[in-house]
Amino acid sequence: MPLPDASLHPDETPAAAGMSRRSFLRTSAVLTTGLAALASSLRPLLELDDYTTVQRFMQKYYKEMTPADMAKVLKRIEDEVQKQYGIRPHVRDLKPMDGVQFVYCLNLTRCIGCRKCVHACVAENNQSRNPEIQYIRVLRMPHGSLDLDKADHDYAPPTVPEKGYFYMPVQCQQCKNPPCVKVCPVHATWQETDGITVIDYDWCIGCRYCEAACPYWARRFNFTKPEIPKDRLNPEMAYLGNRPRRQGVMEKCHFCIQRSRAGRMPACHDVCPAGARKFGNVLDPNSEVSYILRNKRVFIQLKEELGTSPRFFYYFDV
Amino acid sequence: MDDRPRNGKLSDRTKAALIQWSLVLVFSGLAVLFIVNPWRQSHLLYPIPLVDKSFLDPAPNRRSYADFVRTKDEDALSDFDCYACHENGKPPTLRYDAQQHLIIPREHSDIVMGHGEQGRNNNCFNCHDENNLTLLQTRDGRFLKFQDSPQLCGSCHGPTYEDWEAGVHGRMSGYWDHSLGPYTRLPCVNCHNPHSPRFQGRKPAPGPHLLHEPASAPVVAATH
Repeated sequence: MPLPDASLHPDETPAAAGMSRRSFLRTSAVLTTGLAALASSLRPLLELDDYTTVQRFMQKYYKEMTPADMAKVLKRIEDEVQKQYGIRPHVRDLKPMDGVQFVYCLNLTRCIGCRKCVHACVAENNQSRNPEIQYIRVLRMPHGSLDLDKADHDYAPPTVPEKGYFYMPVQCQQCKNPPCVKVCPVHATWQETDGITVIDYDWCIGCRYCEAACPYWARRFNFTKPEIPKDRLNPEMAYLGNRPRRQGVMEKCHFCIQRSRAGRMPACHDVCPAGARKFGNVLDPNSEVSYILRNKRVFIQLKEELGTSPRFFYYFDV
Repeated sequence: MDDRPRNGKLSDRTKAALIQWSLVLVFSGLAVLFIVNPWRQSHLLYPIPLVDKSFLDPAPNRRSYADFVRTKDEDALSDFDCYACHENGKPPTLRYDAQQHLIIPREHSDIVMGHGEQGRNNNCFNCHDENNLTLLQTRDGRFLKFQDSPQLCGSCHGPTYEDWEAGVHGRMSGYWDHSLGPYTRLPCVNCHNPHSPRFQGRKPAPGPHLLHEPASAPVVAATH
């Protein structure tokens, strides 16, 4: 084997593969920087934890989980919340009660449009504060008709109620025949036996079909990572209810599942200063909602011509 | 060394070196770009102020006599100690001006009379008992303690009282399932001022904010 011509390249020592020291350095520099560029281009993967974890990815469908599986999942959620907010929450998986069907009744004569329900709901259900996600929209409409085209939700007078207007808070109507459930391609949203339509935030793929299907504009999408100040986090949580959501999933009113399935009234009900909101079990003939449906002028289910059959009733006094 | 080729062109070796070094430059540039990430849009959102906590408070509008008794609020209860000032056994006299409006004495200046259309319910003793000021009297001749005031209201406002008894008028709070926890039905006076019962207007909580900052007011074109 002939030796390389040393007279042409006196500064390069012959290497085994015909590689000089200089070209070896050059090649390794190319490789190192190439690898560095590749590695840094993969940097967003570090934030993948926000999107999914192995545990969450491997999680079973809600209805297929055994109590032991659920206990593990609840612990994972508590750990995640503690890591993010520094507060140990109490997450429960509350099941529907037997012989209970929830119904909401709202007295349009009494509502003064103060929006306290909107913000009590946000505080109770850990919605994102920026961008704002709110389950309740209070519509202001002129007296004399119920024309949603004339409705305004941006009203900001010095005091409410205003002369000549009435107010109509709209939130998830918990339809008996829910269009949002029908369109979900992955069964991440379904109706429970107590009438509440729930969402499994770990199963939702964020396609937003349900948002498009809902005639009440009741579903909200987390376009960005939700932002909740630590001191405003509500640590009393439910799996299908108010546990913090992540970016890319849908959410909506669930009649405060963490409260209603423990026998309590929803947050919007308790905060209403005018007593316009009534909530209860329609299967109990002695409940307030049964009394209202029997004795009051319950005039609408909103957009009842669509056949969605809401469990949310608007009524008038007298 | 002599890399200069004899015919004015770069030798293969020099070309390879140049390509390699430029690759190093490109790669390190890319790495820096990926790390600094100038495409990241982190300031899409504008700050939204948190809602005032007063809007989250589920406490009722007013405090009733029963609340004062329960919390032993001596200051408020002293207002109900009628015979500290009034003489026992001598019904107070009421004075009216020319328009038949009740003249409210200085000692009761906190009372605003506004019960009934055009303030027509302007006789204190329509509700209070003139012979025993610590009691209330209904139109059908019953005498009630201040704690039982809803029955007094009900003696005129029958249908509303029926609704209230059924839990449909007014504020209920606590548990819808009475077997799981307490359930309270607030008396009328926790929301309505008995002397002027019309529900008062209030400041509404802020409405929904837009995702992006609303464009500032359009600049008014100069008029020349």
